[in-house]
Amino acid sequence: MAFEDVWKKISWLYYQYILVTALYMLEPWERAIFNSILISVAGMAVYTGYVFMPQHIMAILQYFEMVQ
Amino acid sequence: MEATVFLGTFNDADIFWYPSPDLCLYYNHVSEVFGQFLRPHDLVIALTCTVNCGTLYRQVPESFENPPMYVAVMTYLGFGIVTLFGYFRDFLRAVGLEKCHIAREREEQKDFVPLYQDFENFYTRNLYMRVRDNWNRPICSLPGPVFDVMERVSPDYNWTFSLTGKTIDDVINMGSYNYLGFAENDGDFLKTVADRTQQYGLGVCSTRQEMGNLAIHEELEQLVATFLGVESSMIFGMGFATNSMNIPALVGKGCLILSDELNHTSLILGARLSGATIWVFKHNNMQSLERLLREAVCSGQPRTHRPWRKVLIMVEGIYSMEGSVVRLPDIVALKKKYKAYLYLDEAHSIGAVGPTGRGVTELFGLDPSDIDVMMGTFTKSFGAAGGYIAGKKELVDYLRSHSHSAVYASAMSPPVTEQILRAMKCIMGLDGTTVGKVHQLAENTRYFRSRLQEMGFIIYGNDDSPVVPILLYMPGKVVAFSRAMLKRKIGVVVVGFPATPITEARARFCLSAAHTKAMLDQVLFDLNELGDDLCLKFSRRKYSPRPQQHNNNDDTDFELDS
Repeated sequence: MAFEDVWKKISWLYYQYILVTALYMLEPWERAIFNSILISVAGMAVYTGYVFMPQHIMAILQYFEMVQ
Repeated sequence: MEATVFLGTFNDADIFWYPSPDLCLYYNHVSEVFGQFLRPHDLVIALTCTVNCGTLYRQVPESFENPPMYVAVMTYLGFGIVTLFGYFRDFLRAVGLEKCHIAREREEQKDFVPLYQDFENFYTRNLYMRVRDNWNRPICSLPGPVFDVMERVSPDYNWTFSLTGKTIDDVINMGSYNYLGFAENDGDFLKTVADRTQQYGLGVCSTRQEMGNLAIHEELEQLVATFLGVESSMIFGMGFATNSMNIPALVGKGCLILSDELNHTSLILGARLSGATIWVFKHNNMQSLERLLREAVCSGQPRTHRPWRKVLIMVEGIYSMEGSVVRLPDIVALKKKYKAYLYLDEAHSIGAVGPTGRGVTELFGLDPSDIDVMMGTFTKSFGAAGGYIAGKKELVDYLRSHSHSAVYASAMSPPVTEQILRAMKCIMGLDGTTVGKVHQLAENTRYFRSRLQEMGFIIYGNDDSPVVPILLYMPGKVVAFSRAMLKRKIGVVVVGFPATPITEARARFCLSAAHTKAMLDQVLFDLNELGDDLCLKFSRRKYSPRPQQHNNNDDTDFELDS
């Protein structure tokens, strides 16, 4: 039951995303292209953050002389 | 008392306008009594007969609310994404990976001067074609308050359509210009029209100047003149042609036309055809108009600085895309001060506004002889076709011989003329039936607009106008709205970019006196649900939530909130 509600909510949110970005007017394969580009760019950003964030945080803290 | 406006004195009583749609207060000096009037429209008309004209009209609020900033950002984002994909698809079509459905030149003509400018049609090809199923829907019944829509499907994303053969029945019609409900096919009401068809036939086969001047045309012209309160009038067979063919007869080279920003294409076409200089003033903005008038009087014609032969101000009664009403008293005052002429196009407002349906002149309580050229069409409120121009006798007589439409165009068809006669007599109350339609339209308008504002939609325009644009802004939502409303059996007209500014796409509702309260409640209920589903309630105004007085269980369909 909870899954039904969650699924409906996610489905409604996806519908809003489709409407706002005007993907609603495009054909399914165009939506697939746009979504894959968006997900790949977002995925790459998240991955880069995951890999490099600790080093960046250490560098900042060293700059502010909080940690040696 | 708070927030009242003193209007004037009438028979020893001071009249105040109280900011409520139905009440007007009076204070009688002699008896020292405060009282209340209902229906301030009638009161204003009575007062203006005895006190200065033009100073006592009720200030009806017009609103053009701006949406929150994120809405504009999202609209541009949506258009940007579709434009990018448009370029991508054009590239595919150019390379040959995709079949091109649009007109192309033949292979043998490739070295000639190009026949089709590809980029001009970019918007049509890449945006409009994708969602074309929301426009030009075929209708297979009378466009009354409900109608039948033919169902169609498209196998290739709206490049071609095929009818399935089924019809969607009883779709509530919120798009037809059927303001007073005269689009009907009841045999009893149309008996006189049938008689005239038997008498005159259908085609006139001539122009007014040659053999086409029938007695029924003269009868209608006299009735229109009486209806409007002017000396004489002339009718034409087509509403668009009334504007575009008569303005060139009135002004020419050496004249100045001051036209509102949002004028209809027929007015713009007529102005351009005439060869006069056209200056545009901001929509309903009296400071802009006054500045242009002063400039015209001071500097005269562009190089020679001679005075202009004529200055003509062109405005409309109700602007159909905005729902706004012209500020007629201000314009009449300006016109008298600067000695200009006024051309008023009442296409949407004749029959639909004013206490007895005489248009914006009556709404503001002005004298019809102040307006030099009154023009209107019979397509909207009278359920027929054609237009009229009314004014002083000399003007109309001049137009009879000098207008292109009068001299060359075919005269109005007799059954159409009889339909206008019947409708006008019904509005004026001459044929014995009750004059209820104009009041019903006013009630429907007020009810619909107030409920929509309560729900939180952004509505444009004047509270008195039966044209209600609901702003949707984003292109994806515009399309989804139209399709979802049709699924719920409500037919709406949505308007997008070329007809409106690019960020202000809207759905335009045209109310009708033939809509019952049940239909309006159904539409409002669906709008409420869709507004939540599609997130369309952008208004940031705070309206006090009134208790739900509008039950659907009510038997009466004439009651309104108070």
